Amino acid sequence: MPKVKRSRKPPPDGWELIEPTLDELDQKMREELYEYCTREGYADKNLIAKWKKQGYENLCCLRCIQTRDTNFGTNCICRVPKGKLEVGRIIECTHCGCRGCSG
Amino acid sequence: MATSLGSNTYNRQNWEDSDFPILCQTCLGENPYIRMTKEKYGKECKICARPFTVFRWCPGVRMRFKKTEVCQTCSKMKNVCQTCLLDLEYGLPIQVRDTGMSIKDDLLRSDVNKEYYTQNMERKIQNSDSTRPVGMLGKAQNPSDMLLKLARTTPYYKRNRPHICSFWVKGECKRGEECPYRHEKPTDPDDPLADQNIKDRYYGINDPVADKLLKRSSSMPRLDPPEDKSITTLYIGGLGENLTDSELRNHFYQYGEIRTITLVQRQQCAFIQFATRQGAELAAEKTFNKLIINGRRLAVKWGRSQAAKGTDVKDGFDEMGTGLEPVPGLPTTLPPPPALEEEAPANYFNLDPSSSPALMNISLPPPPGLSNPLPPGFGAPMFHPMGPPPPPPMALRPPGHIHYPSQDPQRMGAHAAIRHSE
Repeated sequence: MPKVKRSRKPPPDGWELIEPTLDELDQKMREELYEYCTREGYADKNLIAKWKKQGYENLCCLRCIQTRDTNFGTNCICRVPKGKLEVGRIIECTHCGCRGCSG
Repeated sequence: MATSLGSNTYNRQNWEDSDFPILCQTCLGENPYIRMTKEKYGKECKICARPFTVFRWCPGVRMRFKKTEVCQTCSKMKNVCQTCLLDLEYGLPIQVRDTGMSIKDDLLRSDVNKEYYTQNMERKIQNSDSTRPVGMLGKAQNPSDMLLKLARTTPYYKRNRPHICSFWVKGECKRGEECPYRHEKPTDPDDPLADQNIKDRYYGINDPVADKLLKRSSSMPRLDPPEDKSITTLYIGGLGENLTDSELRNHFYQYGEIRTITLVQRQQCAFIQFATRQGAELAAEKTFNKLIINGRRLAVKWGRSQAAKGTDVKDGFDEMGTGLEPVPGLPTTLPPPPALEEEAPANYFNLDPSSSPALMNISLPPPPGLSNPLPPGFGAPMFHPMGPPPPPPMALRPPGHIHYPSQDPQRMGAHAAIRHSE
C-alpha cells in the first residue's frame, strides 16, 4: 500500500508504535512469506479464499455467510446490497457489527 | 403441573402441541409472504402456564417480531388471536365482546382450578370440531350491531411497532441510528390505558381499553321512543327523488301493520304511521341509522302526536289515494270519547239513545240533545255509525283481494336486508 495518507485528520494514539511495523510488512512481503503466514495461521486462509470469489470481495467475516446459523437458512443482513435494502436505515449485523459488506 | 413432557399425563395438564397458529390479520401484518419459526414448547402460556408451541414472525418492515403469547386452548376458549387477545371476528377486546353478546364466562382462575379447567376444555376441544368456539361462546349466535359498529374496518398496524427504547428515554442510547427500538416520547404513565395486564384483558375484567370503547358506544346516537305513548308515526327523511310509497311499504310492513303512509315529495320525506305502538318502536329500532334503500341512508325520527299533526286520513287510504282495501271483519277504530264540556254522565259507549241497549248492563235514560255528541272540529270521516254492528261472519275472502303486501303473489317476503348468516 502506498504511503500516502488520504485523510487530513491526525491518526489516533498508538499509530506511531505500529507505523514502522506496517511499513516493513509492506516492503518485505514476498510470495513465499505470504504463503508461510497463511499456513501458520497468521492470516485467515478461508476468509482470503472467499475474497477471491466474485461478489465476496468485501466479505466481513465467515459467520455472515454461514446459512446454518440463521433461522431461515439465509445469509446475514450485512450481505444485502444497500440498494436492495431500501430502508435507508443503518444496519449493524449481530455477529460482527458489519454495516454492509456487499454492494 | 406437568413438570416434563414425558411425565404422568393421565390426569394432568398436557403440554400443548400445534401445527399452525390462531392469529388475526393485523398481527400477521400487511405482507402476504411471511416466514415463521415454530418452536415446540417454546414458552409458557401467559394464562394457563402450560408449555406450548410458539410461532414467531415479522409482521412487516420496521415492525417488531411478534410471537404467540397464549396457547391454542386458551385462545379457542375465548375465540381470540393468540398474540393480541382480541376477538377474531370483530377485533375487539374480550370484555367488549362479552358485554355486546351478553356472555358471562366464568373461567376458573386460581392455580389448580385453572389447570383442571384447561385440561377439561382441551379434551372437549379435541373431541369437537375445531371450527366453532367451545364453551359459552359457542352458544350465543346472534351477531350484534353494537359490536359491528365498534369494530375497526381497517387493520391497525401501530400495534406491531417496536417498543419504546428505554435507554433513549433516559438519554443513554448508544446504538443511535441502528437502534431497532422506537426513539419517541413514551406514553403518559398517568393515562389509564398505560396499565394493562394480560390476565385482566383475557378474563374480561378491569380492562381500560374495553371501558373506553363501552363508554364510546353508550354515547353513540340513539333513537329513544317518545314519552307520549300514542305516537306511532315515524318520520323518514332523505328519500331522494325516486323513492315511492310502495317501496316504503314493502320494507316497513315487516315491523307491524302500517296504518298510513304519507309521502311529501317536495321535502323528500314521508310519515309512516303504524297501527301499533310496538310495531313503530320495532321499526324505529331496526331502521334508525341503519336503513339504506336505493343506496341512500334514510333518516328516521319519531313523528309528532296525532292532534298536532292534524292530517286527516281515512282508514286504509293515504293521501295519494293508492290504498289497499281494509281487511273485512276487523273492528274499526273507536271514536274518541266526547269532550268534557258536553259530557253526559254515562254515555261512554256512544250509542244512539234510541237503539236497543240490549248489550248494556245499565239502562240509562237517553239525555236529550246528545244524539250527536261530536266535539267541535272533529273530522267527520272518523265517525262511524252508532251502535256496534254485529261482526260479519268471516267468510273466505274472494281471491284477488289483497289487504297486505305479503298476500300479493307477485312478491314474496320482505325486502329488507337479511343480517344473520344462519
